[in-house]
Amino acid sequence: MSEYTYQEPKEAVFDKPTQLITRGQCVVVRLPSELTKMVVLGQGKLVNLGKFGTFCSDEVVGYPFGQSFEILEDNKVKPIGALLQTHDEPEDAEYDNATDELIRNLASSENNQQIINIGTKIQKMTTAEIEELKETGGAGVGKQIIEKIIASHDAFDKKTVFSQEKYLKRKQQKYLRRFTIDYAGPSQVLQFYYQKDPSRVLDMSEESLGMMMNLANVRQGGKYLLVDETGGVVLYAMMERMRGEGMIVVAHENEHPNHSVMAHSNYSDELIDSVVKPINWLQFFDPEEEKIGWTDFPQDIIDGMTGSKRQQYYRRKRRATDVNHAINLVESGNFDALIVATTLHMPSLVEKVLEKVGGSRPMVFYSQFKETLVQTQHVMAKDLRVLAPTIFETRVRPYQTIPGRIHPVMSMRGFGGYLLWATRVFPKEGITAVGRGIVRKENRKKQKIEALDELSGAPTEESTPEV
Amino acid sequence: MSFTAYKDTIEEGDFVFCWISREIIKPIHVKAGEVLGTRFGIFSHDDMIGSLYGAQISSAKGYGFIHLLHPSPELWTLSLPHRTQIVYTPDSSYITQRLGITVGTRVIEAGTGSASFSHSFARTIGREGKLFTYEFHEPRYVEAKQELEEHGLTNVEITHRDVCNGGFEIEENGASKDIRANAVFLDLPSPWTAIPNLSSVISKDSRVGVCCFSPCIEQVTKTVEALMAHGWSSIEMVEVSAKRWEARKQMVRRVDDAVERLRDVKRRKDAGIQRRKDDIAREALEGTEPSIGDKRPASETPQPEEKTKETGFNPFGKGVRVRDGDPQWEWINVSKVESDIKSHTSYLTFAYMDPNIRVVNPVEEVAEIIA
Ligand SMILES: C[S@@+](CC[C@H](N)C(=O)[O-])C[C@H]1O[C@@H](n2cnc3c(N)ncnc32)[C@H](O)[C@@H]1O
Repeated sequence: MSEYTYQEPKEAVFDKPTQLITRGQCVVVRLPSELTKMVVLGQGKLVNLGKFGTFCSDEVVGYPFGQSFEILEDNKVKPIGALLQTHDEPEDAEYDNATDELIRNLASSENNQQIINIGTKIQKMTTAEIEELKETGGAGVGKQIIEKIIASHDAFDKKTVFSQEKYLKRKQQKYLRRFTIDYAGPSQVLQFYYQKDPSRVLDMSEESLGMMMNLANVRQGGKYLLVDETGGVVLYAMMERMRGEGMIVVAHENEHPNHSVMAHSNYSDELIDSVVKPINWLQFFDPEEEKIGWTDFPQDIIDGMTGSKRQQYYRRKRRATDVNHAINLVESGNFDALIVATTLHMPSLVEKVLEKVGGSRPMVFYSQFKETLVQTQHVMAKDLRVLAPTIFETRVRPYQTIPGRIHPVMSMRGFGGYLLWATRVFPKEGITAVGRGIVRKENRKKQKIEALDELSGAPTEESTPEV
Repeated sequence: MSFTAYKDTIEEGDFVFCWISREIIKPIHVKAGEVLGTRFGIFSHDDMIGSLYGAQISSAKGYGFIHLLHPSPELWTLSLPHRTQIVYTPDSSYITQRLGITVGTRVIEAGTGSASFSHSFARTIGREGKLFTYEFHEPRYVEAKQELEEHGLTNVEITHRDVCNGGFEIEENGASKDIRANAVFLDLPSPWTAIPNLSSVISKDSRVGVCCFSPCIEQVTKTVEALMAHGWSSIEMVEVSAKRWEARKQMVRRVDDAVERLRDVKRRKDAGIQRRKDDIAREALEGTEPSIGDKRPASETPQPEEKTKETGFNPFGKGVRVRDGDPQWEWINVSKVESDIKSHTSYLTFAYMDPNIRVVNPVEEVAEIIA
């Protein structure tokens, strides 16, 4: 009988393991090439990594996240030190020559010296020493493979140190049966989808995601209004920063919101349901029409229902409660932040939803296109309910991090999106808008000019109160 | 409570960030009877009490206006008293995201400096998290300690210490405190001398991430060498560049209109020449000499206010002061990068320590036997 009893959504607890690799969990398998794979560690389940081999899920359970492994025979693994970090760099000769040239120009004599040094040092190594290096891994891992390569590569010592290392990294990528298990956090999930198809996550970079979370002041216990077209990456990042405490109303344009990413989050459905309150735009803008009228049936009637009828009854009751609850949340407004990552037309969206944001709370809009945010910023600039709209672009530039040979990597992703940050405010009564500024009737002319200066971004005089 | 949860109405004693302009945000504690003097006027605290956060209030004389904002770590970063260089939001938010810092994370930070990042950390790690922050400069330590207390950041513990020489351990009742940090942020001149002291204070049973924040490449080199020597791996240095864009308007000036204007100028010039010819002809006919100084009749002399104005076809408002966005003209929305960009803050060197141990979980083993 108990399976038919309707239960109010219970207070779900955040109890997912974030430090230890645990059975049943979805995790990220990272290969030396930095390619990643999402895997659920089912009991006894074999994980196939193609040319890197196959391992049994049970073998990695109990280790902390970040642990690297080498695949042995019989789907077994052995824990090892970390993998070498590499960047996906083109493997063509022209590129090699260009980078080698760069290095030569930087320090040619020192470079040649180093070639000899490394060559002789390695050749003097015994196999036991190399084995030991392999065991300890860490900083030595880069050099450990040199021995094997040197032995079969006559011209090796004629290469510059730089190309030697690159060569070795490639060998490691190609031949070593190694992998790392990472926590499937929002950054990792973002990276995974980004590799598959950047447009799925609206080209969003990790730095844009992190900046969104901070600018929107996302934290434990907050109540947020979210529009998310990244498949739930933004939602997941927010959930992590709230740890199951607080509320996220997710406005969407379909029958159900698309949160497919949450499947990797390892949250229980109860936890997700207790935090995430979906509402479609029709319900959002037409609340009275869309509220579902509901009165409980008398208990004796419920008791008299057949199993499937009763189940249906409780399902309908649940839906009515959820929909009405979400509508009520939106009607009462006063959200702690508005967070938007959408392809809907933002300049018209912002005017319609900003009333729902509480006083002095942040609004953060993400777009892959700056132009969209520019249009939105112009709309905001005319709206006295918005303070200081600002567009940010942040880009992380990775470097080749080898002491003595530090330089930016030769190619990096050029995009990663833009953010528009603003604060919701309440204009003083009796003040009317002209452009971005404000006008008091007796002082209209002077202020009008200032207001328009403000709009134009011209440096305002110190005595101009900025709005 | 102000930095940890929002409230709606301002009460006596509350912390309010008075937004005067983008450059000037004044954090104040509201006290009945007091005033805030700005160059835009004097604002009474009494007017603030009972107002909503986000409200706009006017100065005593009614001309100036300010907004009353709620504290947040990001606004604090924009308004705090600088004791040192500080970490700004594009860097701090990326470091937080990349190191996976969320509710419950235990973080080590040295040095505290102006506590810009400390406020951001404190917000993100929540009640269950803990920030251990260290500062060796005594006056800065004292100021930061008072500030953190005043701001109610109870999840932050500040220690007066030189972490390079004295390490990170904290004595409590004769024993070493269990710090077990999951993440470390080092913003001091020689992180490589602090790195060796980390091993006793970082978590032994989970992956630990570190980020060292240094402006010079020489510092990065020494840091990377120290990280390698002390067992840190996955070392990668990156740089965050951040730009701010301003929305602007550009007038739509069509070449057809430019052509039309030229035509119009020419037409009027020709008309002028013709008129002069006619004048000369008339003068010759009437036998009067045109005066040398003023070749044109008085009626043709432009009026003073018209001097700058172009008469005739004037599609681009030449000579008129046109405000951007004036609806008399056509505009497109454009953007321009802010005039001075912070093109380099610091290099961020990330690395990780993997414990390389397996934890046998008894519950799991039992579950296995039952299954
Ligand atoms: C650039 S500031 C840190 C700014 C800080 N991250 C912020 O966002 O406000 C560096 C601080 O580290 C302190 N410091 C330098 N060496 C130190 C050491 N060995 N131990 C503790 N603090 C140190 C300095 O006194 C200075 O206040």
